[in-house]
Amino acid sequence: MSATGVAVRSADASTATVFARAASAEWLRLRTVRTTWWCLLAAAVTIVGIGATAAFDEAQGPAGPGSTLPATLAGEFGVLPGQFALLVLALLAVTQEHATGMIGPTLQWTPRRGVLLAARVAVPVAVATVAGVLLALVTDVAAWFIAPGLTLSLADLADSLGRIAAVLAAGSLLAVGLGLLLRSTAGALATVFLLQLVLPFLLPAFDVAWMRDLGRVLPGSGAIWTLLGEPDMTAVLATTVLAGWSAAALAGGGWSLLRRDAG
Amino acid sequence: MIEVRGLTKQYGTVRAVDDLTFDVRPGKVTGFLGPNGAGKSTTMRMVLGLDRPTAGRALVAGRPFAGLARPLRTAGALLDAQAVNPGRSGRDHLRVAARTNGIPVRRVDEVIDQVGLGPAARRRVRGYSLGMRQRLGIAGALLGDPAVLLFDEPMNGLDLDGVRWIRRLVRELADEGRTVLLSSHLMSEMEQTADHLVIIGRGRLIADASLEEIMRGENAARRVRVRTPSGDDLAGALLRRHLRVHPTGDGDLLVEGASAETVGDVALELGVAVHRLAEEHSSLEQVYLDLTGDSVQYRVLAAPEPAGQVRR
Repeated sequence: MSATGVAVRSADASTATVFARAASAEWLRLRTVRTTWWCLLAAAVTIVGIGATAAFDEAQGPAGPGSTLPATLAGEFGVLPGQFALLVLALLAVTQEHATGMIGPTLQWTPRRGVLLAARVAVPVAVATVAGVLLALVTDVAAWFIAPGLTLSLADLADSLGRIAAVLAAGSLLAVGLGLLLRSTAGALATVFLLQLVLPFLLPAFDVAWMRDLGRVLPGSGAIWTLLGEPDMTAVLATTVLAGWSAAALAGGGWSLLRRDAG
Repeated sequence: MIEVRGLTKQYGTVRAVDDLTFDVRPGKVTGFLGPNGAGKSTTMRMVLGLDRPTAGRALVAGRPFAGLARPLRTAGALLDAQAVNPGRSGRDHLRVAARTNGIPVRRVDEVIDQVGLGPAARRRVRGYSLGMRQRLGIAGALLGDPAVLLFDEPMNGLDLDGVRWIRRLVRELADEGRTVLLSSHLMSEMEQTADHLVIIGRGRLIADASLEEIMRGENAARRVRVRTPSGDDLAGALLRRHLRVHPTGDGDLLVEGASAETVGDVALELGVAVHRLAEEHSSLEQVYLDLTGDSVQYRVLAAPEPAGQVRR
């Protein structure tokens, strides 16, 4: 028995290989369901559509030749609502597995849960982030063509796309983490929407001090500030809020996948 | 080879699996029997590392399954045929599985042919019948050409052709020297399919023996089928002699643990006509009911007013 055990062990693949296979399989999973493509289509329509509309508005507006708005604002305006299609993509990648019971076969194929966790987090987050950045880039260039008054420099582009990448990475980490923790599409989706969209806009509207303060530490506020420089908060606070929520969601989701029964 | 050692699973106050120890050996079809809720699925899930045991452990091919890098090469399983993302095609489902274990896509098409999924493999699983999902699940289990196979109720919902196909398949897999663990509540299927039986009830091991041993064992004592127009009288007389009597659907009586001579003598003493008297070996179903302690029928018969009960 022990002799065969050793033989099997030496024939085993390294953790890096197992991760590469798991990540490649996660990518294949995403590609082979329609929801992914619907989400990408929704993100494209929203990001490019809103960005282009903003650019038309700018082109027809009264802004004289003196205005030097960057075209990258178009991508940022588009990503603000469009990010939700990408967050849904990342979230569904996780919760669909639990909703359909597919997590059972998945864990039979990749029973090393740490490796599965790494792949399951990395791939949807990367897909959502890269897709959002590419769509924002397309939007910026489109806006520049639409409204020649806008400026487009490489430095602006790098700065804007970097901030968009940070917002999307943090948001999709939050979505994936909550998906792993809550395991239910409806529950995780509602939570993400509340934290990322509803509460950050709703709480300050009450004009009550503690609500405004609470609203400021929600992940959505950090995202809005990173994209648009509003509401009034420091870069340190915004970064802390984004990173903190992502880390907390990831810790909770990681615990859920690593320690709980497959369910 | 599957080794289960002291496996225990506690859910709150309920002990779903209680200190279970048994081996599943290669080259045989081992039937895993037990009533609903006996802990069969939970045991299989713990063997595959899906659920964490409260105590004990399980080894697959000498190692804990949850540590395997290419698990499909070691063990394949079909636990729940419905547990598939319905939005993906059957072939894509298998491609994902193959990719996780570094199995070439060529093998995906091989197992699709082997289970007879054919052109349906390119359609989305949403439109599959249960039988097609079972075939897809079995294709997934066979994908890595593993030495160990676990099937949880694979015949559920299958038509006769499907059942016969699975019976033949598990036979072949065992004959090739593989370890096959097959759970089912279909006793008659087990009688035709299994070589060895592991029977559990309420999470505990009840029997772990070959099919023959169980059929011949003390729980499989002979019984006598008797046909008489005076069923109530004869049943009463036999019950007074502390024999167990069941009515059958067609009006006969089954007498447990008695010989044909005893029953014939009782009938003669009573002066009732006997139209048929035959010794029978119990079916696995009866042995199983005895082993799992389903004694409801005996209690009903032992109650007063046997007249109405016997004709039930």
